[in-house]
Amino acid sequence: MAKEYRALMSKPELCTSCQRCALWCSLSHFGEMNKSRSKVFVIRREPAVDVPVTCIQCGVCISACPSEALSRSSSTGAVVVDEELCSGCGTCVVACPYGVMQIDPVTMLAHKCDLCDGAPECVKHCPHGAILFEKVSRVGLSRRELAARAESSHVRSRLATS
Amino acid sequence: MEKHVWHGYMGKLLRVDLTAGKYSVEELDPVEMRKYMGGTGYAAKLLYQEMPGGVDPLSPEAKVVFSTGPLTGTLCPSGGSYEVCYKSPLTGTWCQARSGGSFGPKLKFAGFDFLVLEGKAAEWVCLHIVDGHVEIRKAAHLLGLDVEAATDRLQDEIDDPEASVAAIGQAGENGVLYACLMNDRGRAAGRGGIGAVLGAKQVKAIVVNGTGGIAPAKVDEFITAVEQAEENIKKYPFAAIPLMGTMCLLSQLNGGGMLPTRNFQTGNFESADKLSDEKLDRNYQIKRRGCFGCSFACGRYTSVKSGPFATPPMEGPEYETADMFGAMCSVSDLEAIIRANYLCNIYGLDTISTGNSIAFAMECFEKGILTVDDTEGVELRFGNTEAVIATIDKIVKQEGIGKLLSKGVKKAAEELGRGAEDMAMHVKGMELPGHEPRAESKILGLQYAVSSRGACHMHPNWSSTWEFQLDCGMNEFGQPWPPLEVPNESKTKGTAYRYVALQGEISEILGTCIFYSWGVEGICITPKLYAELLSSLTGWDVSPAELVTAAERSLNLKRCFAAREGFTRKEDRLPKRLYTEIPNGPSKGGKITSIEDMLDGYYEAMQWDLGTGLPTVAKLEQLDLGFAGV
Repeated sequence: MAKEYRALMSKPELCTSCQRCALWCSLSHFGEMNKSRSKVFVIRREPAVDVPVTCIQCGVCISACPSEALSRSSSTGAVVVDEELCSGCGTCVVACPYGVMQIDPVTMLAHKCDLCDGAPECVKHCPHGAILFEKVSRVGLSRRELAARAESSHVRSRLATS
Repeated sequence: MEKHVWHGYMGKLLRVDLTAGKYSVEELDPVEMRKYMGGTGYAAKLLYQEMPGGVDPLSPEAKVVFSTGPLTGTLCPSGGSYEVCYKSPLTGTWCQARSGGSFGPKLKFAGFDFLVLEGKAAEWVCLHIVDGHVEIRKAAHLLGLDVEAATDRLQDEIDDPEASVAAIGQAGENGVLYACLMNDRGRAAGRGGIGAVLGAKQVKAIVVNGTGGIAPAKVDEFITAVEQAEENIKKYPFAAIPLMGTMCLLSQLNGGGMLPTRNFQTGNFESADKLSDEKLDRNYQIKRRGCFGCSFACGRYTSVKSGPFATPPMEGPEYETADMFGAMCSVSDLEAIIRANYLCNIYGLDTISTGNSIAFAMECFEKGILTVDDTEGVELRFGNTEAVIATIDKIVKQEGIGKLLSKGVKKAAEELGRGAEDMAMHVKGMELPGHEPRAESKILGLQYAVSSRGACHMHPNWSSTWEFQLDCGMNEFGQPWPPLEVPNESKTKGTAYRYVALQGEISEILGTCIFYSWGVEGICITPKLYAELLSSLTGWDVSPAELVTAAERSLNLKRCFAAREGFTRKEDRLPKRLYTEIPNGPSKGGKITSIEDMLDGYYEAMQWDLGTGLPTVAKLEQLDLGFAGV
């Protein structure tokens, strides 16, 4: 049987916005603790929003890249950047549906979540289990659930006010 | 001069002259930083050298130092701290107010380790500090706004919902002497009246954000140390604090007769079970929220959906608030306490001093010192929940009885006379927090007496941890041990406090939360592990002993600062009530007989003069603090 990839999955209800995932991400990739160079983004908004937003490795960026600098790793399933080929043009940033692709402010090249070669630091170090590294079948299930809830939120808000 | 490459520090101090409407950026000196480390240590040096004694804390001559430490904003668990250091208008002496959230880290990401405010703005202003750019902007349009509204407005104006805003509320604008500074909406630099000081300077808010990072000098060693810290705190001895928030203490302390109740008239509150951590979590908690970099997340995010005390989402209440508005005021309605916490946060009031002051007024009322003529017709008795909420409003607006109470219990009692002083639970004008030294630990009594900011359970440490048999890594420095064999109120207990204080001060100079330092080797962050974190971060080879010496500098300088303001051994004393027996409950009969031996033991261990309780010239020279010699 072919290997089942794993992907990142968030549990916003458990996230406390401590940002340790972002600091671990930037420390392990760049040797510095810098939220603005992290590839996991914890969004805190009021009231009560604390959400770790991560790359889902969908691969839209692969076809968008004019330099063929993006490809899918056969070992982890992560979409990875070949820095030799990347020109830093930012087409991938425009294409990314989730806003998690970025041009790194220091290297000025595309930088994205590479799943840390199959052992994501953010998952390893989250104190509350708010970021999980799950088999894709499980991730799909959870994402359908979230999509359904998001789609129906306007109906629910009408219910609440009627 | 070759430019120093900093690790752990941003290497810069931002100085804002509010009178001139100008700012300047100063390079930090690496030798000085290693000497003081940062945080309160370096702030004490700045304030001692730059601000003469006797300055009115509400005058333009007063200075304020916002300080971070080298570990602020890093992966050291709970590097979310900053401390504002200043002279308190409530006490007239040294004060430091610590807060978490993300303000401290973001000040560093913006490029600065320290922010010094001096002078007084000609009109109300707010400061914007973003990625090294500094602006002093007009803030007239923010005047009268509560903390939450001002925060919303400022984040909208710069279109950055992730900027950290520290703001004063109406309490600070109106000069309540224990007004606090709130950052990130629900986090307080709470005690001593920094809100009033900023109000007097006409500074409504400070906005910070930045994209800077902190690169350790030795990345692999730093990662090893952080992973060790992460492992240790999985075995943290006060596991209930992260799990249930500090509210977990309420039932525990009440069970031991240690819960300050009805203005310290007893230590046992009959309705404490209605105020439990479990009830808060089950009925009102939306979720847990943490400070920047904190694995614990002791913060509760709560609301009350409906009813007379309906409250929008807000961080808290934590234990101190629940004791002050609950047991201290004999209020058994958790919803009212959530409401009180919310009001204090948006108005920018220190919940401890506010609740303690109202409890003081309630006792005065019950004993006939205050009457309905003084309280606008309100029966201000213990248990009058509506009156508690209404009094918070009066304090902020300085109306009626609120005007008197807005000065704190010391000044209020002096104005009232007629024995009110006996009911004013404070040390040096700082209201007592929710820990009962007669029952919890005698060493805490000593701490209340000698803590640099007056009665405090947290600065520089929660000394009861020593009595709970947690050495916190200080035994290797000669800390008296085991505590059970140390007689109560003895000189040796005073000696022990020196070690407890030094250990706590380490967190203050490094910019970390003290919660993580309680335990024994392997289950918390001891000075040894802090030294490893600091050494790998900065590239300096800092031993635990060097860290302890830097902590000692900080403690000594703060003492010198206080001495210049007229505070010596004579002022290291406790309210009368603590020398009387707790009348009932599980701790019945508990009392403090004398702190004199403990004071002797502490001063002697610190090598301070026994008569004055002040650092000797020899001691100061030994610490390379000769400039502070009197």
